[in-house]
Amino acid sequence: MLAMYFLILYITVQCTGKEGFMAGETVKAMVPITFMYKNRVGQALQVYLNGLKEKKIMGARCPTCKKVYVPPKTVCARCRKPIDKWVEVGQEGILKNFTVSYVNIVNGEILDVQEPYVIGLIKLKGASSLLSGIVKIPSVDKVKTGMKVKAVWKETTQGEYSDLVYFEPA
Amino acid sequence: MKRNVAIISVGYNGRFVSKRPDINIPELIQPAVANAISKTKLKPEQIDAYVVGNMHTFEGVNQPHLWASDHFGGAGKPVMRIATGGTTGASVFQAAYYHVASGLYDVVMAIGWEKHDEGDAQVGLMGILLPEAFSMFNFGPDMSGERGIAGLGGGGSTGGAAFQAMSYLTKANAGIEHIDRIAALMRSNAAKNPYAHLQQPGCTEADIAKTPIISYPLRYGHTCPTSCGAIALILASEEKAKKFGITDRVAWVKGLGSGSSDAATGNIIEGQITDPAEQYMCKVVAKKVYAMAGIKDPKKEIQVAEVYSGFSHQDLMWPERLGLVDEGKSPEMLDKGAFAIDGELPLNPSGGVTSTNAIGASAMVRVGEAALQVMGLAEGGHQVPRKVENAVAHGWGGLFQFVTVTVLGRTPVKK
Amino acid sequence: MNERVAIVGYKQTKHTFDSPVARERMIYELVKALFAELGITRDDIDTFILASNDFTDGRTISEVFTVPRIGAYMKDETKVESDGLSAALYAYMRILSGLYETALVVGFSMAGSEFRAPLIQSYTLDPVYERPRGIINYYSIAALQANAYMRKYKFTEEDLAQLTVKNLENANNNPYAARKEENPSIDKVLGSKPLYLPIRQAHVSAYADGACAVILSSKKMAKKFTNKPVWIDGVGHFMDTYYIGDRDLLAMEHLSAAAKKAYKMAGIKNPKKEIDLAEIHTNFSSEEPVFAEAMGLFKPGSGKDVVKNGESRIDGALPINPSGGPLGANPINATGLIRLAEASAQLRNEAGKNQVKGAKTAVVHAQDGPGAQLNTVFVVRR
Repeated sequence: MLAMYFLILYITVQCTGKEGFMAGETVKAMVPITFMYKNRVGQALQVYLNGLKEKKIMGARCPTCKKVYVPPKTVCARCRKPIDKWVEVGQEGILKNFTVSYVNIVNGEILDVQEPYVIGLIKLKGASSLLSGIVKIPSVDKVKTGMKVKAVWKETTQGEYSDLVYFEPA
Repeated sequence: MKRNVAIISVGYNGRFVSKRPDINIPELIQPAVANAISKTKLKPEQIDAYVVGNMHTFEGVNQPHLWASDHFGGAGKPVMRIATGGTTGASVFQAAYYHVASGLYDVVMAIGWEKHDEGDAQVGLMGILLPEAFSMFNFGPDMSGERGIAGLGGGGSTGGAAFQAMSYLTKANAGIEHIDRIAALMRSNAAKNPYAHLQQPGCTEADIAKTPIISYPLRYGHTCPTSCGAIALILASEEKAKKFGITDRVAWVKGLGSGSSDAATGNIIEGQITDPAEQYMCKVVAKKVYAMAGIKDPKKEIQVAEVYSGFSHQDLMWPERLGLVDEGKSPEMLDKGAFAIDGELPLNPSGGVTSTNAIGASAMVRVGEAALQVMGLAEGGHQVPRKVENAVAHGWGGLFQFVTVTVLGRTPVKK
Repeated sequence: MNERVAIVGYKQTKHTFDSPVARERMIYELVKALFAELGITRDDIDTFILASNDFTDGRTISEVFTVPRIGAYMKDETKVESDGLSAALYAYMRILSGLYETALVVGFSMAGSEFRAPLIQSYTLDPVYERPRGIINYYSIAALQANAYMRKYKFTEEDLAQLTVKNLENANNNPYAARKEENPSIDKVLGSKPLYLPIRQAHVSAYADGACAVILSSKKMAKKFTNKPVWIDGVGHFMDTYYIGDRDLLAMEHLSAAAKKAYKMAGIKNPKKEIDLAEIHTNFSSEEPVFAEAMGLFKPGSGKDVVKNGESRIDGALPINPSGGPLGANPINATGLIRLAEASAQLRNEAGKNQVKGAKTAVVHAQDGPGAQLNTVFVVRR
């Protein structure tokens, strides 16, 4: 499976003229160039995406230290050993940290959003890593660390990150 | 007193291939690291530092070693990123050398890789000159007093290479058949290297001559592939080489250097134009490196050479510029079989870059393969039969302007 | 091998948000001016190290055109595709090895005029998990870190604003800073645009066009350049794991380890007492208390007191970023080198209005990667 990504590099061409009418002047031209890349998700994230299709959150368990990494990866950094064991983690967890966001950064542009929203780091039951996700809450003033939250899924899943729409208070 | 540094292990992630849709970039690097460590007595945590590099515009991931932190073992360790275009792999290796030679670290891993199936290699290379080309279209070619800047940019890197090839052939009084011949040698060498990408056992001059011309005198069969793969080298101080090397056979780094010439864009500056076949910089760097390595007569004292040729004509050119063959004599050496694996100056027994080119790895593969030759560990039939006292590994990149030269040997330089 | 290496010369451009000259001319003029100041030529430099990045330069193998401009024609040169202090670290290793005696390190980028910093930063995020999901970026990571710190230690938005004002005031007195804010105040900072709270626009470093050049020399060659060498007495650098969910953003253990290593090498047992000032590479002012404490310069959680008592001000107990830091100018690849240049200026009593009195020992820091994944620390002394 692969992830598509369009990369746009805006190249600014600058040149300071040496002789003739351009002498001493610097001219700039903005040149939008599109390079197209096809980045592969890889083995571990493929497991994660397959899990999302089934409304499951998958992690990778290190055979040595038993830590469970979410999203899964093929190696345990602590033990410096490969991982090929995938386990399901819980759908509920504790909100460990969060920030209230007033913007969205798209293609490097900081864009305003209509309503502030919460980005949280959640410790799911059975996971060692924190999972980042949007926490939907009636009022951003009410969000607190230590809250219990649970995953909310799309009705029809497709094996994409958007299948896990957000977390909400449990 | 300088510190002696040796390469104690060379690891590949596997055979270099065109596509790996099943894994991502960190997962590409992971097996090369494990492979290199498995050939030593080292535990993964005993690597003191890592130096990494690739040409990251080819995959569109800025500094991918950050993402791959856990997969190569850099998480929790000193990590430095080096990138110098085509010579990246060698520059990464040379930085790893300085990590140990400085005395700050004893065991350092150098890693180079590229995953070309995730991007468009031609566009990446065109990106070097595209800003100048656009500037010319908008403001005219004379705006900065430089002319013809896109002259060699036409056709991407092949345009410049064709110019270089014609200049070389004319000076050496050789013909396109020599390029066909050496290209065939490389592909059949690659067939004896289990890690090489394009393996064509028994490849002949006629096979290459059948391929279409891109830009005379360069044919499709003279160009390099785009490959996916990773290589890891482990460097150690003298003491740690003894402690962690599985055998006592290591490859000592006897001399190393790099140099930067002017970008051969076809600019006519003050009435002069750089001939990309001259490669004066290579001669200067090679001389310096041989002196450092204590080598007085490279023609006699170097038993094998791994040179970086993006196009087959360069396999004829580099041995001359590196002082291994007299000027203009490579075609003769080729014709009498001197460059073959069992010849008097084996050239690219690995198959070279025209058989395998994962850009970020390629210059390091030259060093790794030279190390394997010194250690007598090259697999699949591409180990040269003679005892290798000294080997030279060369790297090349940029707009025909960057060069790296490394000499590896069986014994360290006498202090 | 060489035992000791010193900074023997340095120069930075007047950083701007829109450079009047092209990148190549900018670094050429800078290096030319530095050489003229020291009365040397490129023949006096053995090796050249660039700190730049194809992504920030917007072209592949950008060093094709920048390497000749720093005087490296026909010389041994290389490029560290990371922060400027890492490049200085590599130069330091090259000289320690004994193969070279002198090195020129140049870092630069056109982060003010040629690209949107968040765009280029976003490319360091992996393309298959964080980038497509779009919620984790350099700004939101800093916000999560700041919130963890603020919650644990009752550090308030006002405290953070006061800290930002301190940096802006220092930047106003720094002739090289790009960002000049008239009469910076807590109210103005608190009124600036909220991004990911508590990060507001005012807390974000000033991405700018600029360059910095530093010359390193072995002890035996130092006299050729200056009679005021600044010695590199300790270095440390470590990289953290990539995924934010696997990191302890508050503890910054790998920054701590880097600082500890540098202190040990420099024979420093009590950094709070023995360090006279610190130049810290912060992309957001909220990183300052976290990093300073991780580096052992202040007690963990003391941020509120530090701000209230003015301890990190130029006239305080341990000045942090007397130059104004990256809040004044952040030309990305140059920023780490600028910290080294600023610290060197302080130790040589050349820091003008921002001079810390009697500065003898400084700690210098640079970061790279999302959420300061990679940290480099130098201890320098006169």
